[in-house]
Amino acid sequence: MNPTRGGWVIMLSIGIAMLLSVVHLPAGASAWLGWLRPSWLVLVVFYWVMALPHRFGMISAWLTGLVVDVLYADPLGVNGFCLAALTYVTWSFYERFRMYSVAQQGVVVFLMVLATEFVRMGAQWLGRDGALSWWIVAPAVMSTVAWPLVALLLGRLRYQFAVE
Amino acid sequence: MALAIVSALLFVVDLNSRLLEPVRSVLATFVSPIYIIAESPYQMSRQASQTLSTRELLISENARLEKRNLELAQTAQQFVALREENDRLRQLLGSRQRLGVEGLVAELIGVVPSPNTFQIEIDKGADAGVFIGQAVIDADGLFGQVVEVAQFTSRVMLVIDAAHAVPVQVLRNDFRSIAAGTGRVDRLELEYVPITADIRVGDQLVSSGLGGHFPRGYPVGEVVSVVVDPTLTYAQVSARPLAALDRARHVLLVSGSEAPSLTPTEQPLEAAP
Repeated sequence: MNPTRGGWVIMLSIGIAMLLSVVHLPAGASAWLGWLRPSWLVLVVFYWVMALPHRFGMISAWLTGLVVDVLYADPLGVNGFCLAALTYVTWSFYERFRMYSVAQQGVVVFLMVLATEFVRMGAQWLGRDGALSWWIVAPAVMSTVAWPLVALLLGRLRYQFAVE
Repeated sequence: MALAIVSALLFVVDLNSRLLEPVRSVLATFVSPIYIIAESPYQMSRQASQTLSTRELLISENARLEKRNLELAQTAQQFVALREENDRLRQLLGSRQRLGVEGLVAELIGVVPSPNTFQIEIDKGADAGVFIGQAVIDADGLFGQVVEVAQFTSRVMLVIDAAHAVPVQVLRNDFRSIAAGTGRVDRLELEYVPITADIRVGDQLVSSGLGGHFPRGYPVGEVVSVVVDPTLTYAQVSARPLAALDRARHVLLVSGSEAPSLTPTEQPLEAAP
């Protein structure tokens, strides 16, 4: 990620995605509300890889994932693997994904978030006594709902600051 | 492909050893500002409400705290006398005296967001002398232990995390057990309790100090249910954690005067012939 030609917009958006993913609920909120948080990072990484595949590569995705591991207290390497895999898939099909409508992209987002959450849950389950649960569908659904908003906002930013 | 292999390697090494702790610690130092920024709206609203609170509120708060202080001072006086008596009796019995415990107040600056993980971020780190495995308590009971130390912040795993366990004993009869986290906010489970054990609903559990990590005698939980099924080997005993795990703003990092000991397996076993 080169900070010139608007690279700072990419970095900033990833920073904000990280921020949004650790903002916690006010004390006293029920625990299950925590499941309704969209995977902001997956959304942002998916957008940038699809829009500018030459700017955001697998190494950047993997390094971002390493930071996220520490942020989420996951075993090291899990989120790096997820984000790098996501980047690989998106990179392979980005021309097709670009032609999709927002709703179709939403379905792709749903599957990707579900896959990453599944890998994370599996890693936690392998690592210690983390429980397997159906709740991982919730972040996937919420991410799909949030996708049009994220795509619109990042698209605006991209043209505004001429990120290319 | 190469990245997948590196990821898998990191994953396995991180799970099975403590080799990557320095890496995590360095990364955590860079990541901690994100937690601080994420917490800042709450911080500001608290500060605003403090600044804007009325004179009457402050006076009543002050009165309440003074009353509380007096109560605690009175308990502390009794405590000093009791401790001296206890030390004398221990001396008579020839056993080691209890060690003094030092505390360091830390403030919560963030909560790790995954719903399966119960860890919090606090504002004291390696520069304040925090170490991995240090016990953390709050005003009501045992809170958890430090699992990751960055330069200025550290991570605390709560007693209810499914990966956490603490050696406890029943206050009433010194029956020993292990209180394991369940991943639910209001539940601890006692492991390996024989169905014949004398344990009842309402029993207080305190840390037994046996593992060497936690100081002895801090309240951990209160037994809320005991299910004895004669067909099973162990009774199913649940307890409610006493610490205000989802509400506390300030916690206390405690450390005895002795350094945390290594686990027996880390010490050389073979003596020279």
